[in-house]
Amino acid sequence: MRRDPPPQSDPDRREFREEAESLWRINLAPATWAAHFVTSYAIAAVVCAKAPALLPHARLALLLATGLALAVILWLGWRAWRQWDYRTTGDYTNALGEAEDRHQFLGHAAVLLALISAIGVVYGTLPVLLLESCR
Amino acid sequence: MSEPQNTGPQGPYPPSAEMLATPVPQAQQERSAAELRAAWAPPKGWRYVTAVNNSEIGLWYALSAFGFMLLAGVLGLLIRLQLALPENDLISADRFNQFFTMHGSAMMFLFAVPMFEAIAILILPALLGGRDMPFPRLSAFGFWCFVIGGVFVMGSLLFNAAPTAGWFMYPPLATQDEGPGSDIWLLGLSFIEIASIAAAVELIVGALKCRPPGMRVNIMPLYAWYVLVVGGMILFAFPPLIAGDFLFELERSFDWPFFDPTRGGDPMLWQHLFWIFGHPEVYIVFLPSIAIAAMVVPTVARRPIVGYSWIVLSAVGTGFLSFGLWVHHMFTTGLPNISLGFFSAASEAVVIPTGIQLFAFAATLIAGRVKMSLPMLWIAGALAIFTAGGLTGVMLAIAPFNWQVHDTYFIVAHLHYTLFGGMVFPVIAGIYYFFPFIRKKMLSERLGRWAFWLIFTGFNVTFLPMHLTGLLGMPRRVFTYPEAAGWGWLNMISTLGAFVIAAGFAVFVWDLLRPKGAQQQMPRNPWAAGTLEWSHNIPAEYWGARSIPHITSRYPLWDDPDLVARMDAGRYYLADSPHGHRETMVTSVIDASPELVQRVTGPTWITLLAALFTGGAFIFPTFHMYAPALVSGAFALVCILYWLWTSTARPPAHEMRDAGLGLSLPTYASGPKAVGWWAVWITMLGDATAFASIVFGFFFYWTSKPDFPPEDAPHAAPELVALAVLALTASWALTLAARQWNAAGRIGRARAALITAPLLTAGGASALTLSVQALEPTTHVYPAIIWALMIWVVAHALVGLIMQLYCLAGSLTGKLTPRYDADLWNITLFWHFLCLTVLVAGAVIGLAPGVL
Repeated sequence: MRRDPPPQSDPDRREFREEAESLWRINLAPATWAAHFVTSYAIAAVVCAKAPALLPHARLALLLATGLALAVILWLGWRAWRQWDYRTTGDYTNALGEAEDRHQFLGHAAVLLALISAIGVVYGTLPVLLLESCR
Repeated sequence: MSEPQNTGPQGPYPPSAEMLATPVPQAQQERSAAELRAAWAPPKGWRYVTAVNNSEIGLWYALSAFGFMLLAGVLGLLIRLQLALPENDLISADRFNQFFTMHGSAMMFLFAVPMFEAIAILILPALLGGRDMPFPRLSAFGFWCFVIGGVFVMGSLLFNAAPTAGWFMYPPLATQDEGPGSDIWLLGLSFIEIASIAAAVELIVGALKCRPPGMRVNIMPLYAWYVLVVGGMILFAFPPLIAGDFLFELERSFDWPFFDPTRGGDPMLWQHLFWIFGHPEVYIVFLPSIAIAAMVVPTVARRPIVGYSWIVLSAVGTGFLSFGLWVHHMFTTGLPNISLGFFSAASEAVVIPTGIQLFAFAATLIAGRVKMSLPMLWIAGALAIFTAGGLTGVMLAIAPFNWQVHDTYFIVAHLHYTLFGGMVFPVIAGIYYFFPFIRKKMLSERLGRWAFWLIFTGFNVTFLPMHLTGLLGMPRRVFTYPEAAGWGWLNMISTLGAFVIAAGFAVFVWDLLRPKGAQQQMPRNPWAAGTLEWSHNIPAEYWGARSIPHITSRYPLWDDPDLVARMDAGRYYLADSPHGHRETMVTSVIDASPELVQRVTGPTWITLLAALFTGGAFIFPTFHMYAPALVSGAFALVCILYWLWTSTARPPAHEMRDAGLGLSLPTYASGPKAVGWWAVWITMLGDATAFASIVFGFFFYWTSKPDFPPEDAPHAAPELVALAVLALTASWALTLAARQWNAAGRIGRARAALITAPLLTAGGASALTLSVQALEPTTHVYPAIIWALMIWVVAHALVGLIMQLYCLAGSLTGKLTPRYDADLWNITLFWHFLCLTVLVAGAVIGLAPGVL
């Protein structure tokens, strides 16, 4: 059982809970890349080992997976963009020690990670587009 | 219930400017400094080896790793001497095999990874304005494991018994190798890998929970970000290798055919497990070294780093992408081309984050007013060499080019360019930069420049021609070559260059070790840097920070001119030690708001003993001496239990501690606020990865073999598997219930649960052991992997059982109460993971054969 939080710090605590999630949140876009990568590798490996004839279907499925992954990353990136809030604040570096800076910094980092994850997913789709057989 | 109503921090936070400006009376300053000095004094005389201060352990760690590096370097020179002339007979083929195997293994396992741990243990607490790492004894235990394992593995060279199969130990060569060489490699290095994981746990918890108050994640030093990323990578990269070692050693010792194709095994599984470790490992050594550059560059440019967020992106992004590269070491193994394509694509993609951080450094240097210093010279050399290595890396990521140069000297050239540029040069830069912090003396500017130009020139003379040697067709790992091949002159150039490198290292080592007693006292912040480690005391004090500051910016020494004086006066937190304890501050993960005063452990023999006996448990099996190994393992267990019982999660004498600046903090925490809980969580993440690797093995055999499982194979008894799963799940439920009952004050019920749960655990483990008795693991890989899964689960269940009894004993003796229940929180967390392991293993052993 968790003990009750001290009453005086309730607003901080809410804020903290939200942000505790967000250290994980900057990893979500790369994790989407990882999921896409593992799915691509696993489907290709199993299909090529067990039923090479099904490869055209597998390629189609993987293209759908790419679409899904990109949609997820786009959504994460858009949320992070709003959290960064660059257009309103004009603060690019978020170098100060205020809660707001930390909040926007995590948004900025998540935007950049979403970008690199999207590039990774696109790269990972190229073999599916270009190669028509297992060999 | 006797529980106090409020166990959280009390008092004002953050401190106001007025509070910080109030001077501390002189008498109080002197008294508190004396208290701290007494609490943190390192042991004297021959007891010095029992020290656990991060400053001592980190230094020993770094010096040992550096010593192993010099030994491995000598092996490299001998290799170069043998190859200088065609048909040379300086050393025999077998010796040559031992030398190149140990050169690679030692450079990777005894130098590169431990050096990261050593430097991080040494400087991370200071970067975070802290006293020490959260688990000093764990650092000490890891260090002693490393030294014992390293001496054992390197020592095998003296007995002509060293491993000979290359640093990646491919079966079937390594599984069928005569003599103990492969076993020495497997067991000796597994032992060291465990030390690495211990260090990763320590460093992650240190970076997450031991930052100074106010140092939110957006202002922590970039080095801490890199440590977090690299710690996470170790947790996911090393366990697959440990799982691989486990299977490999079962094959070597008991003839279970995991990698033997004649009985359904597959050598490719080792290649996968090794490189799932091996490729991220390259980044595990690269990122912390480049992190040193991220500390040096702003200092020499005399401005904050450009693109802090971009560097965080590149560290985290590289951490992820580096796990999608492992098959590029296996491009010639006949995997489907489409699979190769995925890995080729990821190998190209990882260049982007890697490049971004180099551009961020370049931008910082361009935007700043650069004051060229010796550390910067080494960083500049590193960037030049690493970029060249990175470009050949881009070439090698293209599968068809890779097929042409696979296993030639082109690869040798590429990997030395990346590792010298990405690891050796930045680490030496770090040594020049941090030496004044570590030893309170300066290294010589003149000798440093000599060492740089000798090593830089020698390196390029040695390795640049190797690209050509490789393109002309010289395979790596040949002990000699015919004169007609025409590679003789290139090899001669490389050998000459190698001795120039050696000369450079000789200069460097002399500079490092020469007596510096006559040197006058150096300035406190010799590079005019902005980060907290330069608030150190000269002459040296062992307390870490005099008082733990409140931090509000990325470069506090630049931004707050009063900070150091206030730290010195003991104006900030934990400036004293009223009870003579070693203490450090635990803060929250994101915003570093103060949560707890954590008592940390002091000097002890127990970690040394525990490491010695753990060493015995790993080293005896190398010679098939299983009884002594078991005895040694039992002693190790006793030592570790004694260590935990006497010094962790003891009920404190005082509930709250006046931390300074009006803030009063609790001295005990359980669950997610406690550092111990985080350590268990992180350890179990690594453990779960190792288990997942074995399960991956099961499905790997299914895809790679048409007859897995074989049609007529006997299976595990399904009812016994089901019984085992039920009993172990019930044991988990009771453990969880015990925690809740205990917290609610129903101690009798909690104790009853802690008596029943171990019985269920023992019953479940027995049922699982019995369920596989009809299977004969030496006949085929299917029964062998079922047995391996069974052993994994049963071994973990035994650990879980000891934990349950430990908590029962704690409850009976008053160590564990409703208020002080950290142990019960920690073992419940272990049991969550164990329950998941049991369910997955039960499904694979009991259900998968019917489905596949």
